[in-house]
Amino acid sequence: MENRETRLISGKGQYADDLDFPGMAHLVFVGSPHAHAVIKRLEVDKALKVPGVLTVITGQEMVKYTNPLPVQANFKSKGWTWRLAHVYAMPKDKVRWYGEPVAAVVAEDEKTARKAADLVEVEYEPLAVTGNALEALEPDAPKLYDDWEDNKQVHLKFDFGEPETAFEEADQVMHIKTREGRVTGLPIEGRGCVANYNLKKDTLEMWGSFQTPYLARHNIAATLGMPEVKVKINAVDIGGAFGLKIHAWKENVVALASKLTGRHVKWFEPQKDFIVTGPHQRDVFWEGDVAFKNDGTLLGVKATVTHDLGVESTNKGIAALSIFPACSAVPNMYRWKGMHIEGVGAATNKSFYCAYRGYGKDKGIKFIEHALNQIARKLGMTPEAIRLKNYIQPDEFPYHQINSYVYDSGDYPGTLKKALDMANVDEVRAKKEQYLKEGKYIGVGVISAIEPAGVAVPNCQMGGITQARVQITADGTIEVHSDRTEIGQGSEASHAIIVSNILGCNREDVLVKPVTSDYIGQGPLSSRGAVYPASAVAKAAKILKKKVSQCAAAFLKVDEASLVMEGGLIFSSNNPDEKLTYKELAEKSYFFPGPRGLPPEILKNHDHLLDVTTTWYSPTTPDSGSSYTSFCTSADVAVVEVDIDTGATKIIKYAHVHDAGTIIDKQIVDGQIHGGIVQGIGEALSERLDYNEKGQLMTSSFSTYLIPTAVEAPDIEVAHLETPSPFTETGSKGMGEAPIIGSKAVILAAIEDALTPFNIEVNESPATPERVRSWIVAARKEQEESK
Amino acid sequence: MKMPVTLNINNTTWNLDIDANATLLEVLRNNVLNQQSVHRSCEEGECGACTVLMDGKPVNSCLVMAASAQGSTIITSEGLMRGDELHPLMKAFVDELGLQCGFCTPGMVMSAYALINQWEDEELSDMDIRKAIEGNLCRCTGYVNIVNSIRRAKQAKDAGNWW
Repeated sequence: MENRETRLISGKGQYADDLDFPGMAHLVFVGSPHAHAVIKRLEVDKALKVPGVLTVITGQEMVKYTNPLPVQANFKSKGWTWRLAHVYAMPKDKVRWYGEPVAAVVAEDEKTARKAADLVEVEYEPLAVTGNALEALEPDAPKLYDDWEDNKQVHLKFDFGEPETAFEEADQVMHIKTREGRVTGLPIEGRGCVANYNLKKDTLEMWGSFQTPYLARHNIAATLGMPEVKVKINAVDIGGAFGLKIHAWKENVVALASKLTGRHVKWFEPQKDFIVTGPHQRDVFWEGDVAFKNDGTLLGVKATVTHDLGVESTNKGIAALSIFPACSAVPNMYRWKGMHIEGVGAATNKSFYCAYRGYGKDKGIKFIEHALNQIARKLGMTPEAIRLKNYIQPDEFPYHQINSYVYDSGDYPGTLKKALDMANVDEVRAKKEQYLKEGKYIGVGVISAIEPAGVAVPNCQMGGITQARVQITADGTIEVHSDRTEIGQGSEASHAIIVSNILGCNREDVLVKPVTSDYIGQGPLSSRGAVYPASAVAKAAKILKKKVSQCAAAFLKVDEASLVMEGGLIFSSNNPDEKLTYKELAEKSYFFPGPRGLPPEILKNHDHLLDVTTTWYSPTTPDSGSSYTSFCTSADVAVVEVDIDTGATKIIKYAHVHDAGTIIDKQIVDGQIHGGIVQGIGEALSERLDYNEKGQLMTSSFSTYLIPTAVEAPDIEVAHLETPSPFTETGSKGMGEAPIIGSKAVILAAIEDALTPFNIEVNESPATPERVRSWIVAARKEQEESK
Repeated sequence: MKMPVTLNINNTTWNLDIDANATLLEVLRNNVLNQQSVHRSCEEGECGACTVLMDGKPVNSCLVMAASAQGSTIITSEGLMRGDELHPLMKAFVDELGLQCGFCTPGMVMSAYALINQWEDEELSDMDIRKAIEGNLCRCTGYVNIVNSIRRAKQAKDAGNWW
């Protein structure tokens, strides 16, 4: 069968924008120009009079025909602060962020819908804007939600290990503050879908860029008040997701539009809308103390991370859930005595928070890695020395970290040492003084990270559900189903490799089916693809292999133990000349001679169908409470040059060593590494969602929200270690996030090292040229004054 | 307002009756021409997902008024295929995994095709490649395997495997 890459490159991709049905209508949203305002009047008559317009949906219709958006995560029971908003997919009387949709125009074609959208008249009464998390938490801050006491949406408090003892034993305590700007994952394709409400059957079917069809079905059905059995969601080819296509929100309006018009209705989001009204991430302030000994032994942390969550409006708790890994990732890969970490989330008049590669793990690790570099500097140690001193050692696995994570395996020192070698760190450092004499500011950054992967947490929709099915069809081809959508991360190829390796069949005879809501699962998120779905698929294939052996042994009249399955053939090692192809086996099992031709025991056990559906759950999570199952390891070393006149940073060398356990496919893993690293570089250097004082987003296009181009992106040298995970079916670990975690931190660390003569702590991102320049100017002024 | 326009698209001449204000992107993607490899994203010439060759030069088809393309020769990535056979450049992308989600890929392929087609020298540096695709944004690959794909395609061309 034609592989996916060949299909896509031949122009046969079917992305959301390619969906076309007879009589399909088009939907366009009308967004608010205000960040916070009361809707005084909303007039749709002029829009409705445009020839070709079918209907206009507003917040009034949402309230009339739909339910409020359903709760997706709720930690109220734990005694923490956890607030949720009672909101609909579009608001009736108040807007809370710039771009928030207030109406949706449905017309025969998209151009007509756009024209009519301009004629929707809205009168607003602007309200005071809450512009950032720190402002939002002030006592007199304008409130976003009337029924909340204040804007504090979330406050979580964690005690890991023995924080008090840690600080009592410390020789020194260092105060650390960091600030990370607001970013978005921004795949090149926006969101889009087609909804078809069948008025005769009262069923709804949708096709589109759904990263998690099963969750989308649950949430859309709840919003529309339909039984889930009457709703089906199909993922089509998805033009990148990175977490940003998990939630279903505007999709509810598209579904309602189809119900009200009885037509297929399509919505394809302009890229600008995806930035303005899409999921955002990061935007955190860290502040706290780190306790350590004079010899560099790490002891403890007491810190608070404050998140700017934007509005709590579209995905009901899932955004705030991201605060958990931010807090829990702080211990990273080191031994500690104890920590007290608090996570605060404030609601502000910005677009909503949701998943983006990292989902908080990146924040905790970036904070602690920055702190380690400051401590090393103070103690006169190299960044690698302090890490090597505190690493959990290869013989300590499984390691129960103070935060309840159970680390599966790894060689942390080996990973870091290899990266240092690849980047020739000693050589660069030896030349540093010479470079400075030449006016070159060269710096080396060193970061190491674990990647907690495969999330399973209670009280939310990310509980660890997954389902897989492997079926040998009657013609011997093999179909695979799971909840792992293909979003460019290699799901289809990985599943096909796993199944063909286990069954000994040909890879091209395996077809991994597009994901629909027919199979249970929370989809690919939190790098769970190689943990949950891959384990479930492997488990199904292993059970299926047993059935294949039983049937084949019966047909070949040989001992089951002597069977060999390879190259698409099944035969006995005692009689290699008599072979069965999968086609022959399937045909014999199903039709000629059929099930009656199989031994009675197989039929009595109901083992005659070559079809297995199963599930998988982490072996460590139930007893330990570890929210993650596998912990891939990475080390990043970057060498940069900072132009102190322009503030621009150039990456001269980038080395990344990665240990994702057993590698399913090296090319796919490398691709994930490259992509993640460059996204992290964008975060470190140029990407920023900047809101003005009125709460309007100023960086809402590719020309202002600067993702790296091919010229800014560096060459990347990658090497692998393979320490299998004992906890997954394949030995593989979830991967894909470690590269962004390491890269965004390592670039800042390298800039800080390059700017050593100015004694600048680089604790704010992105380090844009203007920001770097301002640091240098301030440092020079300070140096002059002290003279 | 409708107006007639003649375009040669992938070696077929089309006499079309188009909206006067339609972009080349809209016309290529419409039901008649159905060039679905030409992807719509930013619609302001920033992302390069809609790149096609117009008289041999890569253009953002979202920025070209279809009416102004009167009489020109357009090649989309579908036009590089020979029947079901992948162009050597496309084959290189598949072999090097120069695509992940595949959304930027057709536009990326057209910029790369224009580069290699007009490149006379033996030497093609990685920076030459990177500069040629600077207008094609990719969020998945970090560009590494794309650069590898294009380098490999250049070798194919040097070996006479090209059209």
